[in-house]
Amino acid sequence: MIIMKQDHQRKMWQMPWGYPESITITAGIAFVGFMLQITIKEFNFFLLTSPVNLILGASIIGLCLLTLAFKKSKILRWFTGVPLSVSLITALLLLTLIMGLTPQTGSEAAASKHSFVSLLGFNNMTGSWPFILIYFTTLLSLGSLIVRRVAKFNIKDYGFYLNHLGLWLVLFAGGLGHADMERYIMHVREGEVEWRVYDSEGSVKELPIAIQLNDFDMEVYPPKLTIIDRASGEPQPISAPDYYQIDTKAPKGELNGWILEMNEYIHQAIRNSDSTYRETPMPGATPAAYITMYNPSTSETRKGWVCGGNQVQLYKTLELDEQYVVVMTVPEPKRFMSDIEVFTPKGSVKKTILEVNHPLRIDSWTIYQYGYDNAAGQLSSYSSMELVYDPWIIPVYIGFLMVALGSIVMIVKGRSSNRKTLLSDNIKEE
Amino acid sequence: MNWDTFIWFALPAMILLAGAGVVVYRKNSRVLADVLMITGILVYTIFIVGFWINIERPPMRTMGETRLWYSFFLSVIGYITYRRWKYPWLLSFSALVASVFICINLLKPEIHSKNLMPALQSIWFIPHVTSYILSYAMFGAATIGAFVQLRKINLKGISDKKIFDFLDNIVYVGFGFLVLGMLMGCIWAKEAWGHYWSWDPKETWAFVTSMAYLAYIHLRLQGAKKEKTALWLLPVAFILLLITWIGVNYLPSAQGSIHVY
Repeated sequence: MIIMKQDHQRKMWQMPWGYPESITITAGIAFVGFMLQITIKEFNFFLLTSPVNLILGASIIGLCLLTLAFKKSKILRWFTGVPLSVSLITALLLLTLIMGLTPQTGSEAAASKHSFVSLLGFNNMTGSWPFILIYFTTLLSLGSLIVRRVAKFNIKDYGFYLNHLGLWLVLFAGGLGHADMERYIMHVREGEVEWRVYDSEGSVKELPIAIQLNDFDMEVYPPKLTIIDRASGEPQPISAPDYYQIDTKAPKGELNGWILEMNEYIHQAIRNSDSTYRETPMPGATPAAYITMYNPSTSETRKGWVCGGNQVQLYKTLELDEQYVVVMTVPEPKRFMSDIEVFTPKGSVKKTILEVNHPLRIDSWTIYQYGYDNAAGQLSSYSSMELVYDPWIIPVYIGFLMVALGSIVMIVKGRSSNRKTLLSDNIKEE
Repeated sequence: MNWDTFIWFALPAMILLAGAGVVVYRKNSRVLADVLMITGILVYTIFIVGFWINIERPPMRTMGETRLWYSFFLSVIGYITYRRWKYPWLLSFSALVASVFICINLLKPEIHSKNLMPALQSIWFIPHVTSYILSYAMFGAATIGAFVQLRKINLKGISDKKIFDFLDNIVYVGFGFLVLGMLMGCIWAKEAWGHYWSWDPKETWAFVTSMAYLAYIHLRLQGAKKEKTALWLLPVAFILLLITWIGVNYLPSAQGSIHVY
């Protein structure tokens, strides 16, 4: 109650500062950001490439530590207090809300269009000045708060430390480190070694890492069957095409008024000379199905093999009448993997099977299975890999771990854990 | 054990869960609720273990198998959270949602390997989504609680401390699950797409939502100050959450999101 009274009697800008001052100053920072955005255009994030981000990061840490010297300062109390944190969180909320409503077309589109949206940088929010300024203010405010609370360390506040220090680490390393991140695509032919990569603009670069592709392999799901119009190639009925997902456990279906029964399915089939199929697991094999189609309205029956084909085998369709045929769709990939050897600059060799969701980590590099020759599918003669260089990933992951532990503390302890210490802390401040 | 015998485990498990969800509201039957819930989970676990042994691989490949785990984790985590926080609705809600997933498995099994694209085949898929479902449940309850509290303030002119205790705790627990879900998503994204955070539209909206709840948590640190602002923030945050969950796919800004499937 004392706090509330003070709040009512206090004039704006009279210490201690509360919400009015925090909101005004946060809005002021955003306003300055928008002015910068209009006059000098967007913030070039790649100015922060190492060592600039290291120097900037060290200065931020230095500034946060410097606040220790002014423990009694009322301004600093405010700068690390709840009202400013709520204002900064709200500012981030509003900016990202705008971001969520505006297609993020990026800087190139912004240069060509002189609309209100691009003028204020809404279509490239994370590169816009207001976002950057609020981000740095948050880093400083949160960092100074952590320094202040660590200075009077209390083990009971472990939940606070985990969440706040973890978040700060993620924001700090994730934001500043973004400028150092590099992403490249490498295409390697089977049996060859490659070290040339393409960056996002398509220009070629040579890397200190080389990759040898021993083998590229792919597993596919059983394909679907559908009826198409021979002339147009459109699946039928056009309004909502029927598809039968091949499944040996559910061998019946209905396609555009025809009853389908699948009599035989071969996942890896090779065509015989008499246009039948036999199971042969070898490169170039393709799914094939023997089906019976029955039309209840005309009592007609059609039987035959259907096959989607690939680069080495012809496709095969089942003719229903002069207009319609049954065809097999291109099978969807289930897994694709590259058997690779990676040669690092230190001279070591790493052998692995690269797969989606199973990347290979070497120092600050991560190598991903990225793609293959889509037209050739299983027969692709090359594999594409993405190489990501992110030297700041370790601190980010430490931050993740801390925040995860902090979240578990929140789940187990709820509000109770921080209540006493924080409330007493705030009362002391006021 | 296979999908043909599933019904002989699913039905008893559902009856037990439903029983627990109902009797938990009767003050004298709390122990009975515990017994029913634990037995239900056990029956369900026996099926999963038997099924796992039978198919000779972890049951994590098909949609139906994924749902097995949803139901399992929802009932287990729901029960643990109920025991910790003693809110009976937590038990009923998790029992209900777990049963819904069991029913889907009974009625529309999708037991055959479905065409799950390679990027979705990850161990993070289930915990990522389960954690989010749990946090959404808590935030839904918090939204209702906020309206009850606002009505109390309007009628009596003063807030009810008990309701605020409930709101604060449930938002903390919900936020914990939200952040865990988000972090698991980040790690998954790093494994599958090369970066832990790409400001994909769904990610942007998830960030917006988390900021709203974070603002509530910080507003509430100063006790009696800004009570009404904090309370109104909860329904607003829940609307943002619903946009993140369902609405994002309809936004023009979200075309090309990796989360649309």
